[in-house]
Amino acid sequence: MYMYFEATALLYILTVFTLGIFLFGVYASIYLWRKGKAPSLHHRLLTGPIIKALILDALLQAQLLRQSVVRWIMHMCLFWGFLGLLAHTTFLAVMSHFIPADSALSRYVFLGPGKPFLDVWGDLWGLILLIGLIIAFVRRYVVKAEQLDSILMDNTALIFLFAIALTGFLSEAQRLAASPYDPSMRYSFIGTMFASCLRANPALIADYIPVVWVHTLISLVFLSIIPFSKTWHAFVSPVEIALDASERTPLGERYGGATH
Amino acid sequence: MEEQHTKPEETAPSETHAEEAGTPTINIDNLSMRQLMELDACTRCGECSLWCPAYEQDKKEGITPRGRAKAFKDIIKAQHGLWAKLFGRPGVSKEKIDQFVAELYECSTCRQCYEVCPVKIDTVELWESIRRAVVNAGCGPLDSQKNLIQSVKSYDNPWGQPRSSRSRWAKSAKRQKKIAEEPKDITKQKADILYFVGCTGSYDVNVEPVAINTTNILQAAGVDFGILGIKEKCCGSVLLRMGDREYDRIAQENIRQFHELGFKTMITSCAGCYKTIKEDYPKVGKLNFDVKHTLEYIIELIESGKLKLTKPVNLKVTYHDPCHLGRHSGVYEAPRKLLKMIPGLELIEMERHSENARCCGAGGGLKSGYPDIQNKISQTRIREAEATGATELVSACPFCYQGLQVGIQALDSKLTMRDITELVLMAIEDKAEPAAAARTA
Repeated sequence: MYMYFEATALLYILTVFTLGIFLFGVYASIYLWRKGKAPSLHHRLLTGPIIKALILDALLQAQLLRQSVVRWIMHMCLFWGFLGLLAHTTFLAVMSHFIPADSALSRYVFLGPGKPFLDVWGDLWGLILLIGLIIAFVRRYVVKAEQLDSILMDNTALIFLFAIALTGFLSEAQRLAASPYDPSMRYSFIGTMFASCLRANPALIADYIPVVWVHTLISLVFLSIIPFSKTWHAFVSPVEIALDASERTPLGERYGGATH
Repeated sequence: MEEQHTKPEETAPSETHAEEAGTPTINIDNLSMRQLMELDACTRCGECSLWCPAYEQDKKEGITPRGRAKAFKDIIKAQHGLWAKLFGRPGVSKEKIDQFVAELYECSTCRQCYEVCPVKIDTVELWESIRRAVVNAGCGPLDSQKNLIQSVKSYDNPWGQPRSSRSRWAKSAKRQKKIAEEPKDITKQKADILYFVGCTGSYDVNVEPVAINTTNILQAAGVDFGILGIKEKCCGSVLLRMGDREYDRIAQENIRQFHELGFKTMITSCAGCYKTIKEDYPKVGKLNFDVKHTLEYIIELIESGKLKLTKPVNLKVTYHDPCHLGRHSGVYEAPRKLLKMIPGLELIEMERHSENARCCGAGGGLKSGYPDIQNKISQTRIREAEATGATELVSACPFCYQGLQVGIQALDSKLTMRDITELVLMAIEDKAEPAAAARTA
């Protein structure tokens, strides 16, 4: 089982359904790409430049840092926050479904020293995502940065991510608020903060399971539509960054010669 | 706009499909898998729109690289996507394609968008491939651009001039004693160096001093070089940028001719020819010679002691990076190095230079398709040049020369436009006064 949420048959069905839609979307994209018949590469693939570009421009997003520190912080928060939470959920799912509950590893992760680590991990990456979302929201709708053009796909991505982050923290806060205080709760540092707000207004405290379901459903819908949405760039852009680096490197050497 | 959908003569029937209600299908065979993937890679961050010279003058989302990528993706998904295959084509209106094509050509292909794109989408290659797709489908180019293309096909130059007058500049210069000797005809006498003059330098009387000055510099250095004379043909850049597949034929014919002549190095004073021959020709056929911009070759002449720049040229200049030399070919340092070799010359950089240099707006068919936008782009660049306090605006491309003159005239600017060869010639002792290009657009 998950740490605080029992996986049901419905969850399995929804997950399979989500994966099905996701894979169909990936196939639809590749189907269209394959209509292109011209050669994609004019040089052989170069591993070194590809690795360098993936580290600098995909993982660290150095190009963005050169353009704007604020945008770099925003995008790094969105990118790493989302990946961190996805890794968190995936890890929990794998542990819950494939590792026996009475195994030493499960006991370590769910009952032992691993638990505070997971609590901090979930809240930390959730907070990072939330910071990125707040900056994105302010840039797009408050400051209205000149370069932004907000259409449905831009708004949808932001709304989904906001909903995921907020319902995630809300479900955690509901769970913590409904439980007697335990010192280990401090590891869920954001959830604890929200929980204290709820405790101040007991009428707002409710069963956390329905909120988890809302969070889960929103997350699954978001994941399923990734290949059809703006978020697809998170998967495709690194490929383009890598290919460009590989293709440009031979030209760069020639440029050097051309400019003495 | 209706006429844009007239099927061009060169379009093979298999490449154009009549679709419902007369809407053409845009065949995307000529694009690569990577290019189609690039449409999905766009993060819609809009950095490109902050730098796009056309968008700076005409605030339409559709002309931003982000807008174009989305519009094209919408069209091809509707025509070729999996949904269209499974559930039938939702249909794309002719108006939508018309609008897309009009916006596709409102672009000087300056490549600034590639420079600033955080995910490094190879934008100009993408636009050129899409242009070819829309031309193949009979939807492009714009009516106002068709004359240029037809002229290249009919006369081997975009200016509607007869082939026989391509080398008239040399004869005229010799007659007027602007050059000591006419350059030899490399098709008759072998030489290691071919000076590829280019269409603008050959035919535009306002810009032909670029060819005259280049000839004088090469002769002063004792270089054994030749020109193709009336056998020189357009490099095909115009066709490539506008999406016409006749470019392939021209490139192949030129490569064949070049190889038959057996020279070792080609030099050209035109940034457009340089980029096309050096960067684009190898995708059509392998080259067995080096391609250098004149200024790169002049630096070699100076460094080898064959050319001496000793006469002070006491001018304050600012340098305009031609897009095809800079962003397209990566040559930023060489022109600056050459300018610094000229004694007395003071180089003052514009606010935007090198990788981020503003475009003059003349390339990519923008000047013929949208002359008013080009004029505004040029004016913006001229104001930027004026802000440096320089008295001379220098560049290394006849096409930029034309494009920037538009802005100088529109603003009645005091700036003097010069090609870099003119300044080099000024610095050579005992040479006749360099030929100054006419200061008109």
